[in-house]
Order: sequence, then structure tokens, then C-alpha cells
Amino acid sequence: MTRISHVTSRVMRFVLVGLVLAWTLVPIAWMVLSSFKPDNVITSASPQLIFSPTLAHYQALFSGGNNLWHNITASLIVTGVSTAIAVVLGAMGGYGLSRIRIRGKQHLAFWIISTRMAPIAAVIVPLYLMFRYLNLLDSYTGLIVAYLSFNLPFAIWLMTAFFDDLPRDLEEAATIDGATKWQVFWRVALPLMKPGIATTTILCFIFAWNDYAFATTFGGPGTSTIPIAAAQLLTQTGIDWGQLLAIGTVVVCPMAVFGLLVKRWLVTGLTLGAVK
Amino acid sequence: MTTRVKRPGQGFELAMMTPALILLAAISLVPLGTMIYMSLSKVSLIGGLSLSFAGLANWTRLFTDPDIGASWLRTVVYFVATVGLEMVLGTLIALLVHSLIRGRNLVLSLVLIPMFIAPIIVGLLGRFLFDPSFGLYSWLLASTGLYEGNVMGSVGPAMYTVIGLDVWEWTPLVALIVLAGLTAVPTDILEAADVDGASYRHKLWHIVLPAITPILLVALLIRSMDALRFFAIIFITTNGGPADSTKTVPIRLYDIAFRFFDLGYASAVGLTMLAVSIIIATVFVRVLERREATP
Repeated sequence: MTRISHVTSRVMRFVLVGLVLAWTLVPIAWMVLSSFKPDNVITSASPQLIFSPTLAHYQALFSGGNNLWHNITASLIVTGVSTAIAVVLGAMGGYGLSRIRIRGKQHLAFWIISTRMAPIAAVIVPLYLMFRYLNLLDSYTGLIVAYLSFNLPFAIWLMTAFFDDLPRDLEEAATIDGATKWQVFWRVALPLMKPGIATTTILCFIFAWNDYAFATTFGGPGTSTIPIAAAQLLTQTGIDWGQLLAIGTVVVCPMAVFGLLVKRWLVTGLTLGAVK
Repeated sequence: MTTRVKRPGQGFELAMMTPALILLAAISLVPLGTMIYMSLSKVSLIGGLSLSFAGLANWTRLFTDPDIGASWLRTVVYFVATVGLEMVLGTLIALLVHSLIRGRNLVLSLVLIPMFIAPIIVGLLGRFLFDPSFGLYSWLLASTGLYEGNVMGSVGPAMYTVIGLDVWEWTPLVALIVLAGLTAVPTDILEAADVDGASYRHKLWHIVLPAITPILLVALLIRSMDALRFFAIIFITTNGGPADSTKTVPIRLYDIAFRFFDLGYASAVGLTMLAVSIIIATVFVRVLERREATP
């Protein structure tokens, strides 16, 4: 009796895992698979699993009028620079915020978190006016500043949470040995923060890399990131699905790999330190 | 005297925070001030930027605009449906993954992938899978007789689709958070319950769920804030259509600002959104503080 129920529960678990994985992975797998299909197979009325694979869509992305290298460069510059600034200032600010003892500290922390939580649609409006006034539309600087508006508070908050968790005895020992505060930060605290820094860097990178709303509002022909290239293909009449699916694959794969690299600390990162 | 030796000045900590805080103030407080000023102005972009004071005109319009009311209602529906489904499905998936003995890590990694995908690509996937002539999911729906026709182009199904896409992307996050909670449930209590012959449902209801309630709350709040933050999926799939049936507040705001270029009115709408997100953030911080007080 119990043996049978044990077997059925195992089978049921197996089926459920299969369902969850199908629901999760079929869209992605279908996109990646279809990006290697010839055009007529992609748009055939019934789904095709057997076809002769082609790299034509990927070749088309990197040649001719719409050269994706241009978009990749733009994406890497704005994402890379904004992430670097957020992580450096976030590490310093987070350490300061974690160690300082002042009244009203919780108000300061609240201001930081509410900045991160501000709806993008609401932030876009005043930034657009400011960028227009300062001539920052269609500039790398504008997009970098826009991404910092959510990644900087995120980095400060998350680094604070990671520094809060660091055992203090090493730092105290170094202080007794005569190390300056900067040396304590640089030589003792920071080297212990590798997971925190890696998690913050990767999440900031993903958030900025994946943005579309800011890029489409503040960007322009000189600064169109990869999501913009995808959106342009998507809004054309007579969508070139082959190229679009190839772009999708290019955007998605590196981020999935990066994200899973810090899987161990993902919960901490994505709950802003609320869950450890 | 002695306290001063133990606790020297905090100049260093302040100096470390200063660059970050100055930059943050420049990119958050200045825009906030600008937005408040804009909401009290008529902003004109034609023939150079100009703002003229308009008093409370934008605000009175906000409270009498039936379109905004309809959008808020739609936002509430979208919010309750997406966040509700994500919480339920995420918890179920977490329980399932937690019960796995072999392959737990691999299954979890695969399940997490959607949340790393750019919302615009999720929208693209939606358009691709639900294309009326060759979409895989349209074909599935048609061949099982569930639905025939253009899903994104019909008033009811369009809303279900954008909700489905959001649920697809963000359920993994809830599952990840809840799973962290499940691994922290003390096993000795569960073993004791086993000895007492407690059923699975009994254990779930009386031991596991009460133990993970705080973490469920964190998941709920994180998702609530993000549900209001992002709008790219709707933006790229239906852009509020058909017949405004998916026009939530952020989509309406974007329209007001960048299709009709009424930036003053858009600021008033944006400030109300900001107020809602600040309320949720306040609750989040309260929950955090309580969690720290009772570990």
C-alpha cells in the first residue's frame, strides 16, 4: 500500500517537474531553435521540428545596413560604465552607511530604497525635460545617468546589506594593530566582499542591459542599444522574424549565464538583502 | 572621554558616503523637484522648452479624468492577477523543487532563466508565440479548440496574454525567494510531525506555511513594487490596445507624455504613481525591521 503510494507520488512529482520545465523553457527553446530556421519554416502555419539549420539570420545581423555591432557597442558602453560607477560608489557608500552611527540613519536608508523603487514611467518624465534642457538626449552620458538612477541606489542598499553581515572582529583586530580606516576597508573588508561585489555587479549589469523604456525615450540613432534594435525590427511592417529571433538569442543567452553565475547570492540580491 | 577613544569621529564613514549621496541626490531629488514643479506648470516643447505656471490645473484634471480612473482600475486588475498568480504558482513550484532529492539544483537553474530575460524580449516572445498565422501557442490553442483567432488583438484575451507573460517572467523570482524560506524551516519539527503521523497537507498547513509567512511577505512586496515599476511587456506587445483594454497607468502616462507631449499632466500622473510605490516601500522597510528584531 505505502509502496504503491510512494511510487505514484514519485511519478506525479516527475510529471509536475516536466510541466514546470515545459512552461518555463518552451518559449526560450522555440526562439533559439527558430533563429536557425529558414524564413519559410519560421512562418509555416504548423510548427516544424525538422529543417535544415541555417546561420543566415545571424549573418544578416552583422552585415549590411543594420549592423548589430553598433548596437552591441552602445549597449556595452552604457551598461558597463553605469554598472562600474554604481558598484564603486555603491561599495564605498554601502560601507560608510553600514558602519556609520548617526541619528536619522533609517531615513537616509529609506530615501535610498524608495529611489530604487520609483516607477520607471514616473522617473522618465522629469529626466526627459532635464536631458532636453542639458542637451543630453541621444548621448551616452544621458543613458548612463538614467541607469544610475536605479542602479546606484540598488548598489548602495545591497552593499550595505552585505557589509552588515560581515563579521566585525577582523576589522577590529586590524584597527588595534594600527591600520587606518581606509586600510581596514581596502585590505580587510573589501576582500571579504567578493560575493557581494560580484552579485551587485552582475545584477546592475542585467538591469541596465535589459532596459528598454529609458533607451527608447532618451536614446537616438547614435545611442541605440540592442533592445532598441529589436524594437525597431518589431514595429516594422513585414517583421523579419529570423533576425528578430537571432537578436533575442543574443540578448538573452549571456544574461542567463551571468545570472546563474551568482545563483548562490541571487536571493539576497533580488530581495535587496531582505532574505539571506 | 573614554567613549571618545572607543568611538572616534565618523568623518571617514561620511566621506565614503558623500560621493554616492551627492550623485544620488542629483539624479533623484532634482528630478523629483522638477516633476513637482512640472505638475504645476504647462510645459511646452514647441519652439524651445518653456514652462508657465498653471496652478493646480493638472491636478484637478487628474481627479476628473475618467481615462485615468479606468487605467487605475485596469492596473489594479493587472496587479492583483499577476502578483496573485505569481505568489501561488511560485510557492507551488518552490514546494515541488524543495521536495526533489536528485537534480534539485539543475531544475532550479532552469526554472530561474525567465527572470534574466529583458522584458522587451518577453514581449517579442509573446508576439512570436501568439502570432495568429504561425505562432506555436496560437497553433496549440487552435488545435485543442480552446481559442481561434488573434489573441493579442481581442479585448479579453489580450489582457490574459500580457498577464500570462508577466507571470511567466516573474514566477521564478517568487519560487526562488520561497525556496530560500523552505530550506530554513527547521527539519526537527517536521521529523517530529512525521513520527506523530501527520499528513503532508497537515504539515504544510500547520508547520511549513506559518514558518515561511514572513518570507512570503517579502516576496509579495518585492513583486508589488516591480509590478508598478516595469511596463515594457505591455509596451511592446499591445501598447495598451486593443481599444485601451490593456492601458494601465504607466502606459497611459507614457502616452500623455510622449504622444501628446503634455509633460505637465504626465508629471501629476507620475507623482501619484510615485506616492503608491512609496507606500509599498514603507511597508517593505517596516517588515525588514521587524524581521531583524526577531530572527
